[in-house]
Amino acid sequence: MFQDMLEKKRELFADGVQTVLRGHSNRNRRVVILKGNIVQNTRSESSGISARVNNNGTFGFASVAQTTPEAAEKVLRAATQNASLLAQHANRSIMLPPSLGTGMLEPHGVVNDAAQKDIIEACQTVDAYVEKTYPDLTTRTIVYTEDSQDRTIVSSDAWNGHMITPRCYIYVFITATTESGNPVELFKAFGGYGSFKDNFSDVTKYYPEIDELYKRLMDKKEGVYAQSGYKTVVLGGFMSGMLAHEAVGHTVEADLVRGGSVAGKNLNKKVASDLVTMTDFAHTYNGSPAPLPVYLDDEGTVAEDEVLIKDGTLVGYMHDRESAQHYGMKASGNARAWGFADEPLIRMRNTCILPGKSTLEEMIASIDDGYYLISSGNGQADLTGEFMFGVTCGYEIKNGKLGKGLLDTTVSGVAFDMLKTVDMVSDEVEWSSSGFCGKKQMMAVSMGGPCMRCKIMIGGR
Amino acid sequence: MSDLKKLADRFESMIKGRDLAKYTYSLTESEKQEFNIEHGEFKLLRTVYSGRGSLKVFLGERMGSANGTDLTDKGLEALIEDATAAAQSSPEDPAHDIAPDQGKHERTQGVIEPDLDLFIERIKEFLSTVAKDYPRVRILNLGASHDKWTWISRNSNGSDFCETAGFYSFVIEISAAEGDATTGFDYTGITTKDLDTPFIERGDIRRCIESIDASIYPEAIEGEFKGSLVITPSCATDFLGMLIGNYASSGVVIDGTSLWLDKVGEQVVSDSLTLSLMNEDERITLSDLATGDDFLAENATIIEKGVLKQHFLGLYAANKTGRPVVKNNGGNYVVEPGDKSLDELIAGVDKGLLLGRFSGGNPGTNGDFSGVAKNSFLIENGRIKCAVSETMVNGNLWDMFKNIRGISKELVCNGSTVMPYIAVDGINISGK
Repeated sequence: MFQDMLEKKRELFADGVQTVLRGHSNRNRRVVILKGNIVQNTRSESSGISARVNNNGTFGFASVAQTTPEAAEKVLRAATQNASLLAQHANRSIMLPPSLGTGMLEPHGVVNDAAQKDIIEACQTVDAYVEKTYPDLTTRTIVYTEDSQDRTIVSSDAWNGHMITPRCYIYVFITATTESGNPVELFKAFGGYGSFKDNFSDVTKYYPEIDELYKRLMDKKEGVYAQSGYKTVVLGGFMSGMLAHEAVGHTVEADLVRGGSVAGKNLNKKVASDLVTMTDFAHTYNGSPAPLPVYLDDEGTVAEDEVLIKDGTLVGYMHDRESAQHYGMKASGNARAWGFADEPLIRMRNTCILPGKSTLEEMIASIDDGYYLISSGNGQADLTGEFMFGVTCGYEIKNGKLGKGLLDTTVSGVAFDMLKTVDMVSDEVEWSSSGFCGKKQMMAVSMGGPCMRCKIMIGGR
Repeated sequence: MSDLKKLADRFESMIKGRDLAKYTYSLTESEKQEFNIEHGEFKLLRTVYSGRGSLKVFLGERMGSANGTDLTDKGLEALIEDATAAAQSSPEDPAHDIAPDQGKHERTQGVIEPDLDLFIERIKEFLSTVAKDYPRVRILNLGASHDKWTWISRNSNGSDFCETAGFYSFVIEISAAEGDATTGFDYTGITTKDLDTPFIERGDIRRCIESIDASIYPEAIEGEFKGSLVITPSCATDFLGMLIGNYASSGVVIDGTSLWLDKVGEQVVSDSLTLSLMNEDERITLSDLATGDDFLAENATIIEKGVLKQHFLGLYAANKTGRPVVKNNGGNYVVEPGDKSLDELIAGVDKGLLLGRFSGGNPGTNGDFSGVAKNSFLIENGRIKCAVSETMVNGNLWDMFKNIRGISKELVCNGSTVMPYIAVDGINISGK
């Protein structure tokens, strides 16, 4: 058994240092159908073993793209040598973080491989539905993407375990052309945690949502540019989740706090309205599995929820073991690595603004002149909390009712200013788990939030 | 290299043993040494020994591909199984193909064995220079690495490529602070074959540091106006990438949504713009031996004096649309310099921004873009006035490159791109 093989290498762990040995596999499947043509049709596997050694704050890391006992020995030697070599040039001498307990965590997750034939057939079924049902579309693209992590952790003074995290999605991109000849596009991802059969044994269940996507595209096709300026808006749940991740989440990652993020001077201070509470969930939300559950991180820390904002007050950061020691806080399992060759970094997991008591309908009815912003293609934020999200789908709100659709636009602001303007929060959370976060390495993360009424800068044309 | 050749021979015999008549594959062995500096201190040394095999098989007109890191016989057999299964499941499409025989090519380029002692000294020199000359600047992260690899690619048409290569890279992420006042972050980096020059003098690293140092006390712009942008080379690279992606790339030509679909040979942007995808150029750190479609890599000009010379199409898109293939992997953008200095470009702006970084979404298919001006400065009456905060810029990509008012003589070479400053008119700029 692979775990047993790694366990046997524990005898090679050096004294006086902290060591984590990790076996790690990533599996990817990808099919892209562009206007009926299969332009990508790929299966990919990456696997290897890594070791990380912490020698009084100087880290050595090594990885090999093999999963043999010899590979385990090689990375342990190389990581130990790297830590020693670097110590000659580093001025770091940091006491090793205390152990948070040891043991073997119960395994989590199962991955079931699907035949490429089944994946292609599912994509073709969706493609045929879109083509047949909506012949007026200019073009369409169906993308199947699946990635999974399989990690086995053996640590010197932390927890051990075997964790599998599969997820898969079908993206539907549809494009229409306006009367003036300009193409407009919308997309939506369907699927989530689990393997192909968990999510796509019956793709027809997604047809109502594809129909809704088409309706919104037709509204966008007849849409108008948002009037630029500082506006009252309802952020949809997807947008609130994006805000939670990009504009707040990154600023409260402890490595970025040390780098001077705005969160450093705001701990235990009011950063949002009383209606805002935000948590980075480990594996469970509201009594059910979170979209991308994390039970054990890549330093061997058992994952727990990390409350970041409580009733509008900033109360916590996300940590690895070293930063937790630096700030005198507790590590909650945020040290994560994406591939076998990646060292653990402080990363988010399931970051979410918690629901309130209002309804979306009440929020829209409360606005005379504003916007309802539903979905985003991407977002970025800065150490200052200044953020930007592209808005790909939205509507005008006029006199308490939805108006015309919006063409692509952008919203921006400073998170801790903008969150203070939140005065209504809806009672439902919308999660999104299909994306990757980029921070040296890619990482699968999920984010969620309710609808929020707030003030925000919106770009026009 | 000899071991990898033996492995390639074995893999090829395994493929042929499955009676696969048409295929292309590559095998790579690589090694990375990476120094990670966090908050100005050496924190982690990372060594990565890796390998990857890729295989694309064709069953008649059906194509499937697979790749993986397991280069044992078991792993290579799995690659064949997976690629074949993918091809068997795929519908027939005659556009899938590989390049005709390109012959046998073998070479070594770059620096294969790193001088780690000198590398470390250059890193320390950089940290020391920044600490001494720019005490308000913080090095959030610095990644300095040496990568080397041997790569073999062969196909059933007879092409046989083999290359061993290596290079250094140096990437920084920085901010600046004074008291409670802090900036956002900025980043830049270079690749190089030598360590002859201090890192701070390479690419736009010093400019990036000076820019962040001057951004600690930004001012908000009031209202909205139509103005000019003087776009820094790194930001210009991003915009040109969006321009090619939106109007001249494979996907938008295949699905017909490109607004430049029938514009080859026509003036599409300002005649001051010439954009090439360079492969062999002394300013580019490493060239590609072959493309992803197995063609010998070549230089390719996409826009010459404002005229669209060709779309940037891979072999599949070229076959699908009956247009010529571009034998270049893309990415190494080289823009011809203009006839004005950067100072002259700025002096010619009545009101606008020196745009350091654009934080915005990818433009819609029609080219409309909207985003935040990061690491940027207000220009008024031909002079830089102050750093700006919470400032948005929006416009249309195509219109923007039609309205080029000038291109700088100065070029920034970061090892991957050669790029001037580009000044454009007619952009909407708005504050809070």
